[in-house]
Amino acid sequence: MEKKLSELEPGEKAVIISIKPSPNYRHRHRHRWGFQKRLEDMGLTPGTRITIVKSAPFHGPIEIYVRGSRLAIGRGMAERILVRVEK
Amino acid sequence: MKKDKIIIALAGNANVGKSVIFNHLTGLHQHIGNWPGKTVEKAEGTLHFKGYTIDIIDLPGIYSLSTFSIEELISREYIAVENPDLVINVVDASVLERNLFFTLQLMELETPIVVALNQMDMAKKKGITIDHKKLEKILGVPVVPTVATNRTGIYDLIQTSVDAIEKGTRKPAKIRYSEEVETRIQKLSKMVSKLQLPYPARWVAIKLLEEDEQIKGRIRPDPKILSAAKKLAKETERIHGHSCSTVITSERYEIARCIAREVQQIVPPTKPPMRERLHALTTHKILGYPMMATAILSVFFTIFSFGDYTSQLLSMLFKYFYSVYESLFGTEILATLIWGGIIEGLIAGITIALPYLIPFYLALYFLEDSGYLSRIAFLMDNLMHKIGLHGKAFIPVMLGYGCNVPACLGCRIMETERERLLATFVVTLVPCAATSVILLGLVGAYIGFQWALLLYIIDLLIIFVLGRIAFNILPGEPTGLIMEMHDYRTPHLKTIVKQTWFRLKEFIVMAFPLMILGSFIIKLVDVLGLLEPIANILSPVTVVWLGLPTITGITLIFGVLRKELTLLMLSTLFGTANFANVPGFGPREMIVFTLVAMLYIPCISTIAALVKEQGWKRALFITFFEIAFAIVVGGIAYRLLMLTGM
Repeated sequence: MEKKLSELEPGEKAVIISIKPSPNYRHRHRHRWGFQKRLEDMGLTPGTRITIVKSAPFHGPIEIYVRGSRLAIGRGMAERILVRVEK
Repeated sequence: MKKDKIIIALAGNANVGKSVIFNHLTGLHQHIGNWPGKTVEKAEGTLHFKGYTIDIIDLPGIYSLSTFSIEELISREYIAVENPDLVINVVDASVLERNLFFTLQLMELETPIVVALNQMDMAKKKGITIDHKKLEKILGVPVVPTVATNRTGIYDLIQTSVDAIEKGTRKPAKIRYSEEVETRIQKLSKMVSKLQLPYPARWVAIKLLEEDEQIKGRIRPDPKILSAAKKLAKETERIHGHSCSTVITSERYEIARCIAREVQQIVPPTKPPMRERLHALTTHKILGYPMMATAILSVFFTIFSFGDYTSQLLSMLFKYFYSVYESLFGTEILATLIWGGIIEGLIAGITIALPYLIPFYLALYFLEDSGYLSRIAFLMDNLMHKIGLHGKAFIPVMLGYGCNVPACLGCRIMETERERLLATFVVTLVPCAATSVILLGLVGAYIGFQWALLLYIIDLLIIFVLGRIAFNILPGEPTGLIMEMHDYRTPHLKTIVKQTWFRLKEFIVMAFPLMILGSFIIKLVDVLGLLEPIANILSPVTVVWLGLPTITGITLIFGVLRKELTLLMLSTLFGTANFANVPGFGPREMIVFTLVAMLYIPCISTIAALVKEQGWKRALFITFFEIAFAIVVGGIAYRLLMLTGM
């Protein structure tokens, strides 16, 4: 099932499908891939397995476990990461 | 040919123990500065080893060699263009896969590499064993296991490095991508190899396929290659359904994963270790917050009680010196000028900046190195987003309430240049302890506490609004939080102390001359009897626009040196410490005066810190902007208060 990373519950496992570029960004700036490149450089490439550990309260960032390390991802970015939930 | 001078660069991810290794290698022969024209710190040091003088350059801690941040750009330009004799790639053995992703990119730059497989102890605790000989074979570069915190393997590391240099350059193994990508890289690199570029042709080809803006800029004179690259990238995109850049990054990570799987064995410990439980506790959605509050408050308490105590002690000492000085040289103009101008400036630096900066740096490095800083950022990210910053900025902003100087310096923990500038700007708006003294001593004492509170809230609103505006107008892409939370570990104290010492030294060299110059100029103006004429010149602003007594102009000038001086000077000039009965200085004037004093200019120490971190241009811009802004806000407040009949 396709979901946004931000919609997952703690303990759920998922595989990354794709990263959506930020909505208004393209028109305003030249380097449109900055944040996507950044996420990919941190290991969040399509096909990568991740595990949701927890999310900070008040709509805070999400902690995920990926490639043997722990990443904190801001809510806004997590909303643009599409994943497929694994059983 | 034997040369006796060698340059070695240290490169690796953040928090892999790079600075510990740097400190072991260079000892006390260090120099901290900035990369030319950049706001990124550059640490250099020298080491004498077997007749060689080895220059060690500590490159910033980064995860990739793309152009996301200025650090990444600096690192790869340094490696490719300056061509160090060797790069020591410090790798965290406990997070091998992620670290190898970076190693692979270094290998693509075709620079001679030695891998320091660091934190072997941490890996062992996590149940990871690594066959470093096998890793060496796969990568085609020497691999030395190290535990930097207890010096294990450091000698081996430098010996291996020197050996590698003596033997002559050995190119690292080539990384092979999938067939579709590989053929396109080769096609493109054949075209690129005809150009005269400081980078390896294959690397340029890969970067072109990754749509790297900087490399595309270098190729611009050859539109044929550019359009070929574009076409090849499009083809790959069609095959995979993802952009070519994504495909290459994915494949690189896949290679890193395979290598990691090949060389390491993991037997996870059965019971969750202490650091895991600590992590769960410190990021807990309820318990995390009181723990954070306790931690931050105790850090604050330590910094400011130590700072206060030491600062007072030093002031007393200087007061004593002054009486000696006075009895020796009298109070003639020259003597006053030398003391008031030069020595006072020095005293301001020693008594104000240093007592707070020492515990501040120690605490900051301790928090950062142990890993707690990233947990705080995790908890506070959402709140900080409201002012256009993200979680990591919480610490500098909090520090700003104590003193803007360490807060400005602390902004370097932000990752991109844009974030650093944004955080620095916000921090200079935060009311520091001295500003709070003015607020409480004037408005709080003579009008009422609720008014002081109101002004405080107004100030917070201003920070919020200006922060948002700056967030929207600053160029560059706004970035959210993407942060690795590395495992908790015991910080290496010696490294922390050394880091503190060298940063302090740098601050003194940079900021003290400015402080001395500043106080000298003001003293000179004072001695020459120019204060009053200047106050008169300022009167269109102070009297007409802000509705304040003329002499407040003088106090505001002195406030540049130290903000609390505005209040002291006010009582000196009014001839009374009781402001209740001063004619022409009622509640309205007090509020306007306090507002202006809160906002109008960062003090000279803060300006010095700004110059050090952001350069002259931005420091002056922020300074003048804040002066203008304070005047505008003060004038509006004056008129509003008039309307309400206060």
